[in-house]
Amino acid sequence: MIAPEDEAGFTAAIDAAVADRAPLAIEGLGSKTGFLREMQTAETLSTRNHAGISLYAPQELIISARTGTTLAALEAKLAEGGQHLIAEPPHYAFLDGADQTIGGVVAANLSGPRRVAWGAMRDHLMGMRAVTGRGEVVRSGGRVLKNVTGLDLCKLFAGSYGTLGVMTEVTLKVLPKPQATGTVVLYGLTPEVASRALAVALGSPFSVSGAAFLPQEAAMAVGYERAITIARIEDFADSVTYRVGQLGALWAKFGTVETLETAQSVALWRAVRDAEPLPIQPGDAVWRVSVQPSRGAAVLDAGHAAGLFGYLDWGGGLAFLTGPATLAAHEVVVGAARRAKGDWWLLRAPPELRRSIDAVPREAPALAAIRQRVVASFDPAGILNPGRLFAA
Amino acid sequence: MQTNFTLDQLADPNIAVADKILRSCVHCGFCTATCPTFVTVGDEDDSPRGRIYLIKDMLETGAPASTPVAFHLDRCLSCLACMTTCPSGVDYMHLIDYARVRVEETYERPAHDRALRAVLAAVLPYPARMRAALRAASLGRSVRGMIGTRGMLGQRLRAMLDLAPGAVAGRSSTERPGVFKAAGTRRARVALLAGCAQQVIDPGIHDATIRLLTRMGVEVVVAKGAGCCGALTHHLGKHDAALAFARANVAAWTREIGAGGLDAVVTDTSGCGTVLKDYGFLLRDTPESADAARIADLAVDISELLMRLAYQPSLTPPPGLVIAYHAACSLQHGQRVTEAPKALLRRAGFTMVEPRDPHLCCGSAGTYNILQPEMAGRLRARKLDTIAPLKPDAIVGGNVGCLTQLSGTAIPTIHTVVMLDWMAGGPRPDRLPSDAAIAATRPAAALAQDPEATWS
Amino acid sequence: MITLPKPKPDVLARRDAVHEGLRAIMQDRGVITDPARLKPYETDGLSAYRQMPLAVVLPETTEQVAAVLRFCHQNGVRVVPRGAGTSLAGGALPLEDAVVIGMMRMNRIVEVNYRDRYAVVQAGVTNLGITKAVEADGFFYAPDPSSQLACMIGGNIGMNSGGAHCLKYGVTANNVLGIKLVTIEGEILELGGTHLDTAGYDWLGIVIGSEGQLGIATEITVRILRAPEGTRAMLAAFDGNEVAGACVDAIISSGIIPVALEFMDRPAIHACEAFAHAGYPLDAEAMLIIEVEGSVAEQDWLLGQIKEICARFNPISLKVSQSAEESAAIWKGRKGAFGAVGRISPDYLCMDGTIPTSTLPLVLRRIGEMSAQYGLQVANIFHAGDGNLHPLIMFDANDPTSMHKAEAFGADVLRLCVEVGGCLTGEHGVGVEKRDLMSVQFTEIELEAQRRVKSAFDPEWLLNTAKVFPLQAGTASAGPDALPHAA
Repeated sequence: MIAPEDEAGFTAAIDAAVADRAPLAIEGLGSKTGFLREMQTAETLSTRNHAGISLYAPQELIISARTGTTLAALEAKLAEGGQHLIAEPPHYAFLDGADQTIGGVVAANLSGPRRVAWGAMRDHLMGMRAVTGRGEVVRSGGRVLKNVTGLDLCKLFAGSYGTLGVMTEVTLKVLPKPQATGTVVLYGLTPEVASRALAVALGSPFSVSGAAFLPQEAAMAVGYERAITIARIEDFADSVTYRVGQLGALWAKFGTVETLETAQSVALWRAVRDAEPLPIQPGDAVWRVSVQPSRGAAVLDAGHAAGLFGYLDWGGGLAFLTGPATLAAHEVVVGAARRAKGDWWLLRAPPELRRSIDAVPREAPALAAIRQRVVASFDPAGILNPGRLFAA
Repeated sequence: MQTNFTLDQLADPNIAVADKILRSCVHCGFCTATCPTFVTVGDEDDSPRGRIYLIKDMLETGAPASTPVAFHLDRCLSCLACMTTCPSGVDYMHLIDYARVRVEETYERPAHDRALRAVLAAVLPYPARMRAALRAASLGRSVRGMIGTRGMLGQRLRAMLDLAPGAVAGRSSTERPGVFKAAGTRRARVALLAGCAQQVIDPGIHDATIRLLTRMGVEVVVAKGAGCCGALTHHLGKHDAALAFARANVAAWTREIGAGGLDAVVTDTSGCGTVLKDYGFLLRDTPESADAARIADLAVDISELLMRLAYQPSLTPPPGLVIAYHAACSLQHGQRVTEAPKALLRRAGFTMVEPRDPHLCCGSAGTYNILQPEMAGRLRARKLDTIAPLKPDAIVGGNVGCLTQLSGTAIPTIHTVVMLDWMAGGPRPDRLPSDAAIAATRPAAALAQDPEATWS
Repeated sequence: MITLPKPKPDVLARRDAVHEGLRAIMQDRGVITDPARLKPYETDGLSAYRQMPLAVVLPETTEQVAAVLRFCHQNGVRVVPRGAGTSLAGGALPLEDAVVIGMMRMNRIVEVNYRDRYAVVQAGVTNLGITKAVEADGFFYAPDPSSQLACMIGGNIGMNSGGAHCLKYGVTANNVLGIKLVTIEGEILELGGTHLDTAGYDWLGIVIGSEGQLGIATEITVRILRAPEGTRAMLAAFDGNEVAGACVDAIISSGIIPVALEFMDRPAIHACEAFAHAGYPLDAEAMLIIEVEGSVAEQDWLLGQIKEICARFNPISLKVSQSAEESAAIWKGRKGAFGAVGRISPDYLCMDGTIPTSTLPLVLRRIGEMSAQYGLQVANIFHAGDGNLHPLIMFDANDPTSMHKAEAFGADVLRLCVEVGGCLTGEHGVGVEKRDLMSVQFTEIELEAQRRVKSAFDPEWLLNTAKVFPLQAGTASAGPDALPHAA
């Protein structure tokens, strides 16, 4: 493993790999090594030693960090300023290892429950530095909140899983941490009714910042006996009290409503964020499916019919599913996602399955051709995480 | 915006005014969004900003108006929605007015177009000729089916016939000069612009105005020598004819000021009001410029006058009656009178609704619906499409042109002052459906709308 | 003055054939070739720059856009996409050898889905038109550029437009779920969809803000949001820019994020008040418009907190809007600000840099010095929450010296923005206006990386050529033949 301490180290490592035509596995702490497709690489290039916060300007709502900085370290720094990462990045229970880097979180564009109201990691990536597959240092964006100067390479790099370049520094928009959190709970609904209730919550004027449905088995994993449909409010304390009350009234037509105070709410939403409700067995696969919210229930039902378990976040728009890592199970998920006109990711699976299948949907041919040209423009030698996202 | 005029060109006072207007435009494009023709056809050339640009080019080059320039300027309704929208305060009205004169002077129109415009200018401003023409039109309607729908000429002929009322009224009370005495103590003395086409098409409007004002203690004068305000010829680019009308009116009302004094010159046709209020500019280079400015200052829409006189109803409308207020462009954009008519109708107790996009013209625009029947028809349909879902019992507005343009459906069109007069003791508008019919169409309690019912 | 690339002589020579081809595709509707009719298309919201195009095409369907692009691609004809033509950066400035594709006729709302909170609209729907279509049902489309009345969503995609409320709700890129994009080869790509996260590369993210360099968006799926229970604005007036800037910092530091936080300096206050009659404080050096949302009680509480903070900075006046009409007037003044400057000056250049908010006092001081040095007045409008600064440099386009001075002044302001850690453009785009300043912000390597992405979509550089990227020094040309990576 190569783990440089400065940007020049990344340049040198990439230059050498290009010269040797030796593909590199790009990672931070390796927590997502089991994600997406299996790769054949000669060496690992890690950001883990390139850590540290380079700029924190709370009154400008901006933080910059080298990409090897751990998520925990970044969040601790923000907590000192009473702030937090807006997209609420998850620390999935099924990750390998205890922590992940902020570079990895951005490169995978992973967001938590708050994404439904406040945007994804990619939405808050204001700037970055990266070393491309050409060994060149490229900056995009900056340290300001609004910037449309030139093509927005930040967006292209967020979610690119290290296939375009190695990000060395990221600048993120942050916001004040809410004073209080409240949750409204409905019990025992079916996925279909739950997704209607979530639509009512998200379509209400009360700034709902989380909207999830946990079927019974998922709810039991986090200490509830029946299925729960939950909506979250985060704001100043008085506002939370008021809005939780209003939302409860809106939800009364769906059943008996309970509310949770801040401490309980924070714990529950952390569990939802981190995929803790998934009953994952050793060797199981995990899928993530993004669909139009009203179609999430059908995805969950299709999975359930095939012996897969899961739950819904983002008002029904994000389904997590887990079950045996078989081709048949994979095809069930893919079929359900396709029928719902959504996208899917095979987040975790044993290497055998990950070698043989698509880990994300294939693009239409015209777009695939453009994608190949774009990727080649950053990594002409094809040495950065080759085949991680797409086989070709 | 940059302009390119030579000093020689700028010596022409008209060009100097145009230059000043063009310079105030910053080309931001806000006006495009509220322009009825741009919204309809989606072409910069049919937007205010595009027309300003076409005018700028025409004036800068000094060349005769080309066919495309005349085409796109002719398609402007002069609704002046752009002026309401414009943050820079561009005086589009005076720019397009002058451009129309330039087109009229320098552009050789096709013979049929020229002839039609001449006929309109020779007939519409004169009530007697207008009445004769309408009688002929009733006759013409019987042969409407024989007129082809293809080609501009056929479309225009059909448009004219469609706009003519079914039955032509006799001579109205305002066609001859006279004084209508105030009931009780006189609070004010005003001149009423008797005008031209309106009193032939719908004499009931003036009747209501006079009844209402005199009942409220106002003496109403129809001045000798006053006639058409000049707007019809003005918008056809026939500058001299328009000026002649304006001068005659200024002279007539100035005499009235000398004779018995005038507190206002009132109009119940908002299309005319816009021009009356502009007499100061129109006659700026004439010997009577000061008189003209004084008349312009005295000019008010009937709704403004009624607000000033603190109109109060004495009756309440029948239950269930819903009226749709249609804002005439000449009122809302030309004169910026937006609240007064609505406030009065509300005060009169009417349940009033407004369609979406109230700023968009209905396509009437003076003679526009005759000269541009296709575009006018599209705008009429659009307006009616926004009114229909409101299910009103009547469309109410302050300009006879709009009322004619929007008539012909099951919903009657009625002038604001007619409705106000009714609630103050005047006759019930005969176009309104009966109380029983109104009650029948309106369910006792409107269905409670749960907005989420539709999507959750 | 700006340099435009040399027109392709072979295209100019085939002018009639190109016109014929376009007419055939469009079946004789919506093709403008008459010079008199083309004239109004020679410029956009930046009227100092003008160039007559080869032709204008006004398609009504995605298929027509695809056919026209395919034709242009086959014939080596450049293309300039145009929405409402409100760009302040010359984003829709034509080229002599280019076909302008105007999207104004594609102005239909295709679908509204409240349950899943999205709307599908054609590119020629105005920004405000989306909100108008859903507001009766309590929803809105969040990005609200000041030109929202007129600007079209297709152009918003091109420029990644922001607005006064993006501090809370984000810019265009944060509010778009899907785009139907037509490539220069005439391929129709479906990017994103009706769901939140899209697998694979973030094509939406790179297309939004690409200023028509990568393709033409014909249909856009936007997120619509339920409107808050209510909003209320307040005005805080101060006797200096520094103290107003410090107040902004204090508000943000308190943990309150107003939905909008706008700053205007004295000349801007005066120009806007003349237009909107909103009761702006004419005696102030600087004014903040602060807007909060929620129930009436929530608004009261938030405004109370904000008033307390403002009070620490010796405000000249604090005024909370008492009615929806008053709030509307306050925003009318702000949103009409650019045009309102037209009341005090015949022409203006609107700059659009972004700066770290802490540098505001320094930047305003330096702009003041430049104003004196160039002898040109300037009014400053600032999205204080996100650092986006709009100095409006007033000049007289009929005086060439004044025009050149204004351009130089503007360039100096933007250099200053980059120098203090900001960027050239926050929401208007680079266009043709700031094209040659790109090397102030980016290294040649970085520009080259962006150019390669452009080439991946548009190998012959036919789409909106000569915008965004500086022309190759001395060659006055743009396109792959003039680019270093072409070899």
